Amino acid sequence: MFWQQMVNGITLGSTYSLIALGYTLIFGVLNIVNMAHGEIFMFGAFVGLMIAVHANVGLAGALLAAMATGAVLGYLMEVLALRPLRRRKVSELAPLISTIGVSIFLESLALRLFGAEAQSFPPVSSTQVFDLAGVKISMVQIIILAISCGLMLVLRFWLEKTKLGKSIRATSENIETANLLGIDTKKIIVLTVMLASALGGGAGVLVGLAFNAIEPTMGITMGFKGLAVLILGGLGNITGAMVGGLLLGVAEIFSVAYGVSSYRDAVAFGMIILLLFLRPEGLFGSKEQQGGR
Amino acid sequence: MEFLLNPYYLQMAMFIIINAILGLSMYLTMSTGQLSLGAAGFMSIGAYVSALLTMKAGLPLYLAVPIGGAAACLLAAVIGLPTTRLRGIYLAIATLGFGEVVRVVILNLKVTNGALGLSGIPSMSIMMSKAFIAMGLGDGLGPLSVRQLGNLSVIVILALLLVGLILFSVRLNNSRLGRAFAAIKADEYAAEVSGIDTRYYKLLAFFMGAFVAGIAGGLAAHITFFIGPKDFAYHRAVEILLFAVLGGSDTVWGPLVGSFILTLLPEALRFATEYRSMIYGAILVLMMAFRPQGLISEETIRYWRTKLLAKKAVQQEEISGGTN
Repeated sequence: MFWQQMVNGITLGSTYSLIALGYTLIFGVLNIVNMAHGEIFMFGAFVGLMIAVHANVGLAGALLAAMATGAVLGYLMEVLALRPLRRRKVSELAPLISTIGVSIFLESLALRLFGAEAQSFPPVSSTQVFDLAGVKISMVQIIILAISCGLMLVLRFWLEKTKLGKSIRATSENIETANLLGIDTKKIIVLTVMLASALGGGAGVLVGLAFNAIEPTMGITMGFKGLAVLILGGLGNITGAMVGGLLLGVAEIFSVAYGVSSYRDAVAFGMIILLLFLRPEGLFGSKEQQGGR
Repeated sequence: MEFLLNPYYLQMAMFIIINAILGLSMYLTMSTGQLSLGAAGFMSIGAYVSALLTMKAGLPLYLAVPIGGAAACLLAAVIGLPTTRLRGIYLAIATLGFGEVVRVVILNLKVTNGALGLSGIPSMSIMMSKAFIAMGLGDGLGPLSVRQLGNLSVIVILALLLVGLILFSVRLNNSRLGRAFAAIKADEYAAEVSGIDTRYYKLLAFFMGAFVAGIAGGLAAHITFFIGPKDFAYHRAVEILLFAVLGGSDTVWGPLVGSFILTLLPEALRFATEYRSMIYGAILVLMMAFRPQGLISEETIRYWRTKLLAKKAVQQEEISGGTN
């Protein structure tokens, strides 16, 4: 029973990690919290669903389409809602408000385009269930775990080893210095937002698979969870986002398994309020404030 | 006259005042440069606590509403204490999450009647009408029926409350407290170096905002007869945020103007109800891009003041010139 819940929790948590990575990447480079990430994620899920239903391209096609949608939306958001704010000196809360605007715009657009009802995801994979020493793990769960862990590993490697990845890290360390060192930070910012949004779109498909139902309002609920993980892991901390997502997934599944299922959506914020009392910089954050102020 | 006094317009007027109070609650917290997205959450606490007190415990309204505000304040402490130590972004996220937690809790508690919400909350205007009947005005007063009298008196009470809060906020601006708030808003670090206990003032501003939002919630509950968890979800929080963003949060008048416009706008744009959220979203993005200080900033007020004063001076000159 315990290990069964653990497996379920980690599967769910891996999708949370993927969502939180989007927040973390953008926070790292731009120092803003992208409140529209949840809605980009939701759009990814819907486009993935449409593609899977109508185009018959299988899971890979749906995933790619969702990621492409995410990237396009991310680009539009960067150009329309974030770039105009960078040109002038505004408070750090201005981008937050601006992306809240994007979030409710996208949500109501989705309500118009896709309708308010929950739609079920088509069976894009086999429903086979494996039995590992009493722990049941379904094919869907394996696929979700494989894709999310795969994406995270690729991202990790890419940020660590490639030139572009290094430029992203340099930019998130200090944007002026990166600029002086000849990095085209404007391009890096666009790239990061697109990358983060593509990850969000991909996560949309995986969550659609996991819950087998998607609806326009899930952007808000899942977005909140991503935010919780962002704080849990420490703002802008990539390892923190990955581990924090898994932790939240496990905590949620256990809260459902041991009685308080209807409070599931409150677990995330219960955790962060507690954490903010004990360790406000997050589980993996450093004590120093980033960039002085 | 009869046309203006129909129940719909009277109800509208009440909502405008309630929203103006909510706008003020945003202003109070934002006057220290903090962003709280928990107004909807605090409002729901105030609404549920005071509604339950009047319905189940039979408490009079003038006690139940402040208790609701105090309850909102108490919960604000839970979020405020850890987050005011940190950067502003933490408070924004934590309050947003708080709103969601409150919604989930209200959905699941028995006493709040879950998703069905509370109905049959004693209405303020009916209470006032009954009071008028008890005073022997059962046939109304002059051209006014007793129902209109009840509604009008509620509007007067709400308006008095609003005026009181506005006076409080204006007064606050010119006090030691208000100057500390302004200093923190301008530059938190500089304020701290100048010996201002930034954490204390930030907490205080946050508590005041929560209390006022709780009061607004309690009043709203006793006007609408029904409250449900859906009334206080994310969208409500965004709408309240929009009051301050559209109107501007530099002065007391900004959020008031913002709430006035945004309460009337949906009525004027009835044909576009489906696009309401999209329009709101677009307004948020456009305001941040082109006028982050909101429609009414300190410069706007200064500009109009000098212009009006100049006009008055010219008029006076003309008058005095005429007599000579």
